[in-house]
Amino acid sequence: MTTLVVAEQQNGTLNPVTWETVALAKGIGHPVTVVVLGADIGTVADELANANVDEVLVVEDSALEFYTADGFSMALEQVIRAENPTLVLLSHTYQARDFVPALGARLGRTLLTDCTKVEVRESVLIFTRPMFQGKMMADVRLTGPNPHLVTFQIGATQVDNIEPGVSSPARRSFVVTLPTDQIRQRPELPFRETKQAVDLSQAERIVAVGRGIKSEEHLDLVRNFALAMDAELAASRPICDAGWLPMDRQVGSSGQTVAPTLYFALGISGAIQHVVGMKGARTIVAINKDPDAPVFEIADYGIVGDLFEVVPAMIKALGE
Amino acid sequence: MNIIVCIKQVITREWLVRVDETQTWIRDQDASFEMNEPDAYALEAALCLKEQHGGEIIVCSAGPVRARQVILEALARGADRGIHVVSEDISKAGAEVVADALAHAIREEPFDLVLTGLQSNDQGFAQTGVILATCLGIPHATIIMDVQFDAGKLRVKRELEGGLFQWVSLPVPALLTIQSGINQLRYATLKGIVAAKKKPIRTVDTEMPDTFGHEIVKIYTPEKNKQTHFVDGTPASAAVELIRLLRQDARVL
Amino acid sequence: MAVALHLAQLQRERGGDPLTVAVLEKARDNGAHCLSGAVLDPSVLRELVPNCESLDVPLGAPVQDDRVMYFTPRKAIRFPITPPPLNNHGCYVTSLNRLVKWMADLAEKDGTHVFNGFAASELLYDGNRVVGVRTGDRGIGREGKQKSNFEPGVDIRATVTILADGVRGNLTKTLVSRFDLSRDRLPQSYALGFKELWHVPPGRLTPGTVIHTLGHPLRFEEFGGGFLYALSAEEISVGFVVGLDYRDPLLDPHQAFQRFKMHPFVSSLLSAGQMIRYGAKALPEGGWHAIPKSYVDGAIIVGDAAGFVNSLRLKGIHLAMRTGMYAAEAAFEAVRANDPSAGQLSKFQELVDNGAVRHELYPVRNVHQSFAYGLPAGLIYAGLSLITKGWWMQDPMLARAGHERLSTVKEYYGQEIPEISSLKVDRSLTFDRLTNVHYSGTRHSEDQPSHLLVHDTDICRTRCRTEYRNPCLRFCPANVYEMVDADDGTGPRLQINASNCVHCKTCDIMDPYQIIDWVPPEGGGGPDYEGM
Repeated sequence: MTTLVVAEQQNGTLNPVTWETVALAKGIGHPVTVVVLGADIGTVADELANANVDEVLVVEDSALEFYTADGFSMALEQVIRAENPTLVLLSHTYQARDFVPALGARLGRTLLTDCTKVEVRESVLIFTRPMFQGKMMADVRLTGPNPHLVTFQIGATQVDNIEPGVSSPARRSFVVTLPTDQIRQRPELPFRETKQAVDLSQAERIVAVGRGIKSEEHLDLVRNFALAMDAELAASRPICDAGWLPMDRQVGSSGQTVAPTLYFALGISGAIQHVVGMKGARTIVAINKDPDAPVFEIADYGIVGDLFEVVPAMIKALGE
Repeated sequence: MNIIVCIKQVITREWLVRVDETQTWIRDQDASFEMNEPDAYALEAALCLKEQHGGEIIVCSAGPVRARQVILEALARGADRGIHVVSEDISKAGAEVVADALAHAIREEPFDLVLTGLQSNDQGFAQTGVILATCLGIPHATIIMDVQFDAGKLRVKRELEGGLFQWVSLPVPALLTIQSGINQLRYATLKGIVAAKKKPIRTVDTEMPDTFGHEIVKIYTPEKNKQTHFVDGTPASAAVELIRLLRQDARVL
Repeated sequence: MAVALHLAQLQRERGGDPLTVAVLEKARDNGAHCLSGAVLDPSVLRELVPNCESLDVPLGAPVQDDRVMYFTPRKAIRFPITPPPLNNHGCYVTSLNRLVKWMADLAEKDGTHVFNGFAASELLYDGNRVVGVRTGDRGIGREGKQKSNFEPGVDIRATVTILADGVRGNLTKTLVSRFDLSRDRLPQSYALGFKELWHVPPGRLTPGTVIHTLGHPLRFEEFGGGFLYALSAEEISVGFVVGLDYRDPLLDPHQAFQRFKMHPFVSSLLSAGQMIRYGAKALPEGGWHAIPKSYVDGAIIVGDAAGFVNSLRLKGIHLAMRTGMYAAEAAFEAVRANDPSAGQLSKFQELVDNGAVRHELYPVRNVHQSFAYGLPAGLIYAGLSLITKGWWMQDPMLARAGHERLSTVKEYYGQEIPEISSLKVDRSLTFDRLTNVHYSGTRHSEDQPSHLLVHDTDICRTRCRTEYRNPCLRFCPANVYEMVDADDGTGPRLQINASNCVHCKTCDIMDPYQIIDWVPPEGGGGPDYEGM
C-alpha cells in the first residue's frame, strides 16, 4: 500500500502547496512516493529528495516542459499503472482541476475533489469535503477499486517547513512515452493581466472591513494592514453599498463565498448575511467594539476594542 | 458553430439547507431550484458565440423530472433544442456517472464545442466537464475566460492562479469549462419564453449503476466547536499577543 | 390563478375562439411572494376545481382544534367557547405558497401563459381605457445606466386587464387614484402580518390545531393578535398581526412579534425547535365599505388588491378566488362581446353585490373600524354584529386612514418621551430583523436602482425625526430603512437597503407623510416563501 503524491512545479520552482499534500499523505501512514513531472527539473527533484518521504519519482520529458492536460494525464496514467499506488493525492490547484478528472477517467477510477481533511476511522479512510458552497460538510468514503484519486483544498493543513529526512529517499527516473500527436493542447506562454474582478474565493488571507470603519478615508488604515498581512481586501455589504469598495470585494450572501486560511473581520458585526459568506475560513479573527456582536460567535480569536487603535498596533507588531 | 451546453438544476443559493433523516443528504422535496450559476455563464458564452458565428445550441441536462425547468429557461434565453436525461437520483451521483450519462445522450449529436460551467453549486466536484471530454474522446481546457474561433481554429484563454492567463489552441470538437462572471447573463424575453414551449426537448432514459464510486457517510452543518479566544489588554499589548498567537498557535502567519 | 383557471373552464364550456390568457408574476417562482397563515375555506376551491382532491391539491391538515386565547404578560386564558366566525371546522391549515404553485401548474396545463420574473410597472391607456400593462425595464444599474444585458420593458396589450397585484398593489394604487375609485368609500385600512415557519420536535400540537390570541403584547388601543397553526406533527406556523393604525409612534411591530414568541405559552411550543422561514406582508382590513369601485373601462380589480378580506373570520383566500371567478365571468363575456367597457365589466360588480361575497362581507362591514375604539369595544361590536348583521347607528362607522391615526411623539408622550427600547434577541427564539430577512429567502439583483421612492429624504432627517422619530425604522419588517450617521457632521441620513425588501408594502401604507412609493424592483427579485 503506497500513497502517491503528485508534486506541482512551474518553470523549475516547486509549488509549496505540494508540502501540504505530503503532510496529508504522511498522516495516512502508508509509504509516500512523490512524483514530479516536467523537463529539466533537477533542482525540484533535489528539494523533494530532502524531505521525509520514501521515494521520489522524476518524470522528465520534453513534452512535459509546458503543462498540458493531455501530456500530464497521459504521463501520470503510465506512472500509476506501473507503480500501482493505493491512493493518489494532489492539491486542488487550477492545474490539478484541469487534468486530474481526465486522468481518473482514463484509469476508470474515482476522483474525490476539494477535500479538507482525511481520517482513518475503523480502518477506513474518511475524507471530508464541503458541499452546497460550504453550507454543509460531508464525510465520504471511497468505494470501488484502487487507486483512488483525491485532491485537497489549498490550506487544508498547515506546514511550516519540510521535515528533513533522516536519509535521502530513493530517487528514480520514470520514463514515459508521450507521442506529441496525442497531446492536443498547444499552450502559449502565460502572461500577467490585471483582472477586472477580484476572485476572493481563491485568496488565502483576507482582511475584511465593515461599518466600524465609519468613513471612506479610514480605509487606508485597513489597506495598509492588508498589505502588511499579504492579504486581499474585502468588505461587508454596507461598505460596498456605500461605494467605498467595489462590489466584487463583497463577502456574504449577496457577494462572494470565501474559505481562506485566515480571515480578519474588522468592525464587522457578523450579521448572518455576511457570516454565510466566510464561516468556512480556517481561522477567523474579529475586532469589534461591541462585546455582544454576533461575529464573536464564529471567531477563533477576538479583541473587543477600537479597531482604530488595535489595527495600527498590529501593523507595528507585524513589522517587528 | 454547433454548441452543446450542459447545465444542471441545483438548489437555489439562498436555500437554507437542512440535513434529512438519513443524514446522508439534504431535505430537497419542495425546495427551490435554479439553473446552476456557473452553467448559466457557460450558456451565456454559447449564446454570444452563436451571435458571432451562427449555428445551433443544444442544451442538455441530467436530472429528475423537475430539471426540465432549467432546460426551458435555457431555451427561453436562446438555445435551440434540449435533451433531458431523466433520472431521479442522478443529482447525488458521482461525476463519472453523470458524465457517462451525458456522453451517452449527446454522442450522436453534431457539435464543435461542448461547454459546461466550472462546477456545480451543490456537490462542487468540478469534474463532470473534464470527464465528459474524456468519455467523448475530445480535448478539453478549463476555467476559460474567452473563446476565439476563426476558420475552424479554436483558441481559448485559460485563467491560471496568481493573476496569470494563458492562451491555448486546441482542435475542434473540444470541451471547455467556462469561468463564471465573464459576461452579464441575459434575461429571457417574453417572446423567448413563449417560443421555448415549442422548441423540441428529447428525453433520454438512463440507468444508474448499482454503486457509485463514493459514498456519503454523513452530511452535517459545520459547527464551530471552538470557543473564541478573547485577547485582553490594551490595544497595543493585545495586538502583540494576537500576532503571537496567530504565529505560534494557529500557525497561519 | 383563479381567474386563469376559471377562464379556461368557461372556454371549455362555452366554446368559441380560444382566448389568450397571460399571467404576469413578478416573482421568480409561482407562489414565492404569497404569504398567509393560512386557514383556508375550501368551498370556493372545490367550486373552481371540483376534482381538486383527485389532482393532489395540497390542502394541508384539516382543522381539528380551534382555540382563542387571551394573553396577559404571563398567562394564557382560553375563551370558553370559540366565537362562531373563528370556528374553522371544515377548513384546512394550508400553505398558500404551495396552493398557488399547484393552481399555476394547472393553469399552465390549460394553456395559460404564466410569465415569471416580469413585474408590471405601469398600466397602458388608450384615453381612459386600460389596454394593458408595461413591464419593468431589466438590466439597469444602480446609477440608472443601462447594463450590457439591458432589456427594455414590453407593452402587453389585452382586451381586459385583471389586477390581482395584492395588498396595496402598485397598479391598483394608480388606477384608484386616477379614476377616484375610492370616492364615497372609506379609506382602506391595513394590518401588518408576520409569520415564521418552525420545525419543532414532533407532538407539540396536533396537526390541524388553530390557535388565535388577543392581548399581550398589544394593548387595548392596538388592533391585532397572534396565531399558531400546526401544519403537521413537526411544523408550526407562528405569526402576529398588528393593525397599521396604531397611535404610538414608538411602537415596534417586529418587537411585538418577538414578545409574543417570548410568552410562555408560545415559547414552550417552540422550544428546541428551529425557525426555518420568515415572512411579512400587509393585509387589507377595511372590509366592505373600504373596497373601491373595482372595475373601469378595460380593467377589474380582484382579491386583496381591492380589499376583499373578511376581517372577522380572518380569511381572504377564498374571497380572492371567488372574486377571481367573477372577474373571469365578466371578462369572458366582455371579450366575446368585444366590449371591454365599464358598462360591460360592471357584470363583475353585479356578481359581487348579489352573491356570496356581499353575503359574507356586508355583515362584518364595520368590524375593523369598531376596534378603533379599543379592544373591548371591538370585541363587543364584533359579537353583536353576529346577531345584528353589522347594523350600527352610523353606517359606515367613521374611519380614518391608518397612517393618519399615528400620533406625533409629542402628542402621544407629551414631555416625557421615552428612550426607544431595543429588545435583546437570542437568535434562537427571537431574532433581529436582519437575521429574519435572511430566512425569508429574499434576493434582489444588487446592481439596480432602489425601488423605494422616498420623495423627500430631507423630511426624514428633520421633520420626521422630531415629530415621529422615524417610525419606518420600526414598522419595516426587513431592515430596509436605517438612519445612519454620516460622519461628515451633517447628522444622520436615511439609508435605504432596498435589497432587503420583502415586498410587504407597509412603508407605502404607514409613512405619516405619504412620501414613500413602493414600485416593483426588477422582476424575479423578492422573497421566496417556499412552504409558507
